[in-house]
Amino acid sequence: MTRKVFPKVSLNVHYVKLILLLAISGSGMAQGHGPLYGLQTPTLAKGGVDLNVAGMSLGTETETSYMLRYLFSYGITEDLQVNLTTPTMIERLGETPRTRGNSNMPANGDIEASLWYRFFSNAFGVGKRFESTAIVGVSAPTDNVRGQVNVGNAIHAAISTGYASRTWYAWIGGGYQYYFESDDERLGDLPYASAVVGYRPNIFMGDYPKPDWRIFIESLAEFPGGNKIDGQLDFSDTRSTKVLVGPSFLGLYGGWGISFGAMVPVVQDLTPGSVKERYRIAVNLSYWL
Amino acid sequence: MKNIKMMALIGIFGIGTISGQIARVDQEVYGMDCAPCAYGLERGLKKMDGLQEVRVSLNDGKAYLGLAEINDLTLRSIQEEVKKNGFSAKKAEVVLMGNATKEDGQWYIETDNERFAVSQDTSIELVQKLAVGRTTLSGTVQDEDDDNLSDQWEIILSKIE
Repeated sequence: MTRKVFPKVSLNVHYVKLILLLAISGSGMAQGHGPLYGLQTPTLAKGGVDLNVAGMSLGTETETSYMLRYLFSYGITEDLQVNLTTPTMIERLGETPRTRGNSNMPANGDIEASLWYRFFSNAFGVGKRFESTAIVGVSAPTDNVRGQVNVGNAIHAAISTGYASRTWYAWIGGGYQYYFESDDERLGDLPYASAVVGYRPNIFMGDYPKPDWRIFIESLAEFPGGNKIDGQLDFSDTRSTKVLVGPSFLGLYGGWGISFGAMVPVVQDLTPGSVKERYRIAVNLSYWL
Repeated sequence: MKNIKMMALIGIFGIGTISGQIARVDQEVYGMDCAPCAYGLERGLKKMDGLQEVRVSLNDGKAYLGLAEINDLTLRSIQEEVKKNGFSAKKAEVVLMGNATKEDGQWYIETDNERFAVSQDTSIELVQKLAVGRTTLSGTVQDEDDDNLSDQWEIILSKIE
């Protein structure tokens, strides 16, 4: 099995590259209006089209990855949305931590298609609604090996419920990613949960079409399972528990949106020798057609 | 004699044709929380033939719509557009130009495509002002289930022009 090894480069150069790439690629793309990392519930209008481009970076103790990710979404009905997301890997990690990274757009190198079904919605007041959404998806990796284990296709399912209003937002949810075998090796399952609280400050309560900004506090708990080799748990036992917390900001104006945020681990219960994360950052540009 | 016959024919065909429409709708919308919500609804409404003025307010939770002088828009199509965008259409304040009729003691205002039953909550003074024939009036149309919209509505009148 071949490991990809990347040369270490000054961190400042990495940041400059990321910013330049975002500047080049970032116009005319769009996305939903929820948190950056956690599960959410809004779906597009019937016939709505949504395009996104995101820049993502994940730092471990020894390496940093960079990627761009594109997301295309279409509203089949006001409650059913189909999504397709593809990555452009700029720099992969040699030692990859087990993570999904982002509910909408994986922080690994997978191509993913998903369906979002908003099965419950109760708009009970001006600017207020409760809603719940279920997600099912399939993904295919663009790398052969991840964390020294062959990586196969995967299926993903999640459910989230939440509250949206003109002032406060809140979502909780959980998901599960199952990887299929690839050459007698299988990445461990990835159950996860997220919780998000959002707030729109008074200064941004001006009516449409004034600019609209929100801050979210996001949390993500991941419980990667052990990898399997020939049907048996890998002796190195990569089961772990991670909890990450961080802020994200969402700015909207007419059909345009930008969101950016970061998460840092507050709990990393890993087996010795496992990859420790230092941070995750992401920037997302959006446009609604 | 010929002129009388001609006028009679015009009168018969004139009575047989209802020419009524909605002139203005202030549609209450529940569930719109953010700029893209209003943006999407505004875009969807602007695509509808017959709308001259569209303004969506997040803080009011309303879409303010001015319809063209001649239009065949229906309140149902407007509320269906709200639903398509993922929100809930509630009551609507409307200005109607239609034909007032009375059946079995119940007053109706009829446009080309819809029928509005005058609610018993309308003040007696206003009901007494109603007369069969063309009329312009305003009122509040009661909320109906978004999944069971039809061309029959109930309206509480507030003003007869």
